[in-house]
Amino acid sequence: MSDSPLISVRNAAKRLGGFVALEDMSLAAERGTIHAVIGESGAGKSTLARVMAGILRPDSGAIEIDGHKIALDNPNAARKRGIAAVLQQSALFPERSVLANLFVNREPLRNGLVSSREMQARSVDLLRQLGLAADVRAPLGELDPAERQLVAIARALLEHPRLLVLDEPCETLDRRQSGRLFAVLGELKSRGMTVLYLSNRLDEALGLADQITVMRNGRDVLSKRRSELTASEEAMIGQLRQALFPLPLRSLSAVAGTLRPQLAVSGLSGGRLAGVEFTARAGEILGLAGLPGSGVSDLFAMLFGQRRARKGKVRFPDGDSLPKNRTEAARRSICLVSNRTGNGLMDDKSIAFNLSSVVVGARDWGRRIYRPALAAERAARQIEALRIRSDPQDLAGALPPGSRQKVAIAQWLEIGPQVMLLDDPARGIDIGSKQEIYGLIRQMAASGCIVFLHSTETSELTGLCDRVIALRHGRIAGEAAGADMDPTALRTLIATDAATVRAPLPTSQKNAGQKNAGQKNAAERNAA
Amino acid sequence: MTSTEASPRLAGSGTPKAKRGFRLPVETGVVIVLAILVGLLGWLQRPFVEPANLMALLQQAALPGIVAVGMVFVLAIREIDLSVGAVFHLAAIVAALLMTAGIDPWLSALAGVVLGAAIGVVNGALALALRVPVIAVTLGTWWAIDGLSLVIGKGQGVAPAPVSDSNVFHVLSGKAFGTFPASVVIFILLALGLQLVLHRTRFGYRVQATGSNPEAAAHAGIATGKVRLTVLAVMGAIAGFAGIIHLGAQGSVVPADGNGFVLLAIAAALFGGTRLSGGHGSAIGAAIGALLVQVVLSGMALVGVDAAWTSCAVGSLLVLALAADWLGRIWRGRRAERRQAGQRG
Repeated sequence: MSDSPLISVRNAAKRLGGFVALEDMSLAAERGTIHAVIGESGAGKSTLARVMAGILRPDSGAIEIDGHKIALDNPNAARKRGIAAVLQQSALFPERSVLANLFVNREPLRNGLVSSREMQARSVDLLRQLGLAADVRAPLGELDPAERQLVAIARALLEHPRLLVLDEPCETLDRRQSGRLFAVLGELKSRGMTVLYLSNRLDEALGLADQITVMRNGRDVLSKRRSELTASEEAMIGQLRQALFPLPLRSLSAVAGTLRPQLAVSGLSGGRLAGVEFTARAGEILGLAGLPGSGVSDLFAMLFGQRRARKGKVRFPDGDSLPKNRTEAARRSICLVSNRTGNGLMDDKSIAFNLSSVVVGARDWGRRIYRPALAAERAARQIEALRIRSDPQDLAGALPPGSRQKVAIAQWLEIGPQVMLLDDPARGIDIGSKQEIYGLIRQMAASGCIVFLHSTETSELTGLCDRVIALRHGRIAGEAAGADMDPTALRTLIATDAATVRAPLPTSQKNAGQKNAGQKNAAERNAA
Repeated sequence: MTSTEASPRLAGSGTPKAKRGFRLPVETGVVIVLAILVGLLGWLQRPFVEPANLMALLQQAALPGIVAVGMVFVLAIREIDLSVGAVFHLAAIVAALLMTAGIDPWLSALAGVVLGAAIGVVNGALALALRVPVIAVTLGTWWAIDGLSLVIGKGQGVAPAPVSDSNVFHVLSGKAFGTFPASVVIFILLALGLQLVLHRTRFGYRVQATGSNPEAAAHAGIATGKVRLTVLAVMGAIAGFAGIIHLGAQGSVVPADGNGFVLLAIAAALFGGTRLSGGHGSAIGAAIGALLVQVVLSGMALVGVDAAWTSCAVGSLLVLALAADWLGRIWRGRRAERRQAGQRG
C-alpha cells in the first residue's frame, strides 16, 4: 500500500456546459513530494483543482487515494480525506476578520463559545512563517490581494492536510512572498505533506517541483520527474505557448509619416497610481505589466471613468480628457473588457440582448425604440464574425467561458472602439478561443484603435504587444519594446521589491525626460 | 468546443437557420389559472359570470392593478418600493384638500401626481446616495408618508365638495361608451402602454439590463443611477395617479385606503411572471395577476366562504405559483440540456 501514490487521477473528464474542460486527464502524486501541473490558463488546471476539492464531480474517470477508489462528491468529502485546496477564486469572506476567515466552519471553541484567543494561538506561527504581517482582527477586505492570497493558503494549511492543492498561488504574490511560500512548502513536504502545485509558469515549477506534469487542452501531455527532465524537453514546454500568437497585421503603425491620433497620460495619480506618464498611439498594442495591486486596474478604471484621478492630465485621441463616468466613456468609444467584474454579462438574457448593451443602453443615438429583430440581426453578425458557436437567442449564462469573453468584447465592437482597455481578456478560457481573441486584438489595433492590454501571463504581453510598460507600486518601473521584450525580464521588472529598486531604470529615465520636454515635444517624437 | 475545426463555415454562407422551439409567453400561466378559476366560479355560481359582475371585478382590480403595473418596472430593476400604498393615500388626500381649498380640480389632480413622482425621486435619490436597497429606504418613507397623511388629513376621511360638471374627477368617475368605467380604461391602456415601454424602447431595455446584472449594465455604460431614479419617479407618479383615480371614483378618501396595495401589487406582478431577481417583467402579466387576485377575493365571498379565509387563499395561491414557476424552470433547464446534448451527439 505504501508504494501506491497518495492520490492518482485516472482519465478524468469534465464537461462544463457545452465546454470540455477536462478531456482525459491523468496524474499520480507520490507521498511527500511537490507535484507541479503546468499549463496555459484555460488548459483545465482550475477545473482539475475544483475536482480535487470536491466542488466539481468528474463526468468520468476515477480518483484514487492510497490506491482506493473514492468519490469526492462535496467539499466535505475531500476535507475528510485530507485534501485542502486553495482555488483561484477562494471562498473568503471580505467582511469578516482575518481570523474568522482562517477558521471558517472549524472555529475552536472554549466553553462552547468561539474563542478568538485560541484561533490566534493556533495561527500565529504559520502566519509569521508565511510573512503575513497584517492585523488578524481587521476585516479581510482591507488587506491587499497578496495578503488575501496568503490568508487563503494559511487557511488551507491550518487544516493540516495530507494533500494541498494550490491553483496559481503566486499570481498575486511578489517575489519575496513567493519565496517564503516555497520555503514553507518545502518544510511541509519534508514532514510528509504532498503538494499539487498548478501553475502556468514553468520556471516557478522547475525550481520547486519533484515531479512535473504538463497539461494542455484538458489532457496530460507529459509527466516526468524533475531530475529526469532533459534540457530539450524543458525548452519544448517553454515553447508550447509561443505558437499561440498570430503574426502582427500590417497596420497603421507600419505606415511611416502619417500623423496618428494618440493618447497622452501625464502625471496621473490616484488610487495606487503616483505620477504615471506615457503615450500611446492609434494602431498600437500597448502592454501593461504589473502584479495585482500595482495600479494597472486603477489606471484602467480611471481611463474608463470608473474612478476619479487625483492629479494629472490625460488627453484622449478625441481631444478630451478623462471621462467622468462609464456612460461618458462608452459614448466616447472608450471600452473596457475586464475578466474580473463577473465577466460583465447578463446571464439571464440572450446573446442578442447582451450585444445591444452598449449600442442601445449606453448611447442616446437614433430612435428611442428597441427592436429585438434588429438586435438579433446585430448578434447574428457578431456571432459570425467572432465565431461564437451559438444562436443569438441563447442565454448568455449557458455559454462556455471562451464564448462569454467573445460576447463581452463584441458588445463594444458594435460602436467602433477608439480606445480599448483589455484587462486579462484571455484568462481562463480554452486555447481555441484564446487564439481567436488574440487575432481579434491584432485586428482592433490594425483598424486604428489604441489597444491597452494587461495580462497576468507575461508571455501574452510579449507575444502580442508592440511595447510593454511595467508598473510596480503605482509607478512605472520600466518599459520594453520590440526584441527587448522577454517574459522573464518583465517578471523581474514587475516583481522586484520596492526596497531594492529605488533607482529608476534607464527606460523610466527616458520617460522622465519626456516629462520635462513637455507633452507636445513628446507627442512629436512619438508621431515620428 | 472541442471540435473547433469540425465545421468550417464558408464565407457568405450566412448564419445557420435558427431552429427554435416555440416559447410560451410568461403570462401563459396566469391566464390559464384565471380562466380555470373564472370557469369554476361561473359553474358554481352562475351570476359570477354575468357581464355586470365581471365589469365590477375589473373595476375593483383596476386600482391595485395600476399600481402593480408600475411595480413591474421596480421589480425589473431588482428593487421593491414599499411606499406605493402610502403615496397613493397621500396624493389622494392632498388633491382632496387642495380642491376643498378652492383650487382648480385639474391642478389639484396634477399636484397629486407630481407629488407622487417627487416622492419617487426622493426615494431613488436616497437609495443612490446612501447606497442601500430601495426596499430599505421606502420602509422609512412609507411610515413617514403614512404619518404625514394622518397629520394632513387629521386622521379623518376627506371628501371634497362636488364642483362643476366637467372637472377631472367627474371624468374619472364616468364611463367610456357608457359601459367601461374610466378607471378600467386607464388600467388597460396603462398595462398595454407600459408593456410596450418595457420591451420595445431604449428606456425599457435599460431597465431590463439594469435589473438583470447591475454591474454588467453599468460596465457597458448604461447610466444605472438615472434608470433607477426614473423608474422610481414613474412608480411614484403612477401610485399618485391611482390615488387621484380613487378619489375621483369614490368621491372621498378615508384613512385605510391604499393600505394593502404594496403586497397586492407585488403578488400580482409575481403571478404575472415578473421575477424578484430582476431583469424580467411583464406589465400585462401583472395586470392579469391583479385580476386573478380580485377574482379569488370576490369569488370566495360569492361562493360563501368566510371572508377570513380569503387572504389565506391568496397567500397559498402565491406560494403555489412560485412552486409552479420553479418546476417550470427545472423543466426548461432539463430540456435545454437535452437539446445541447443532441447538438453535440
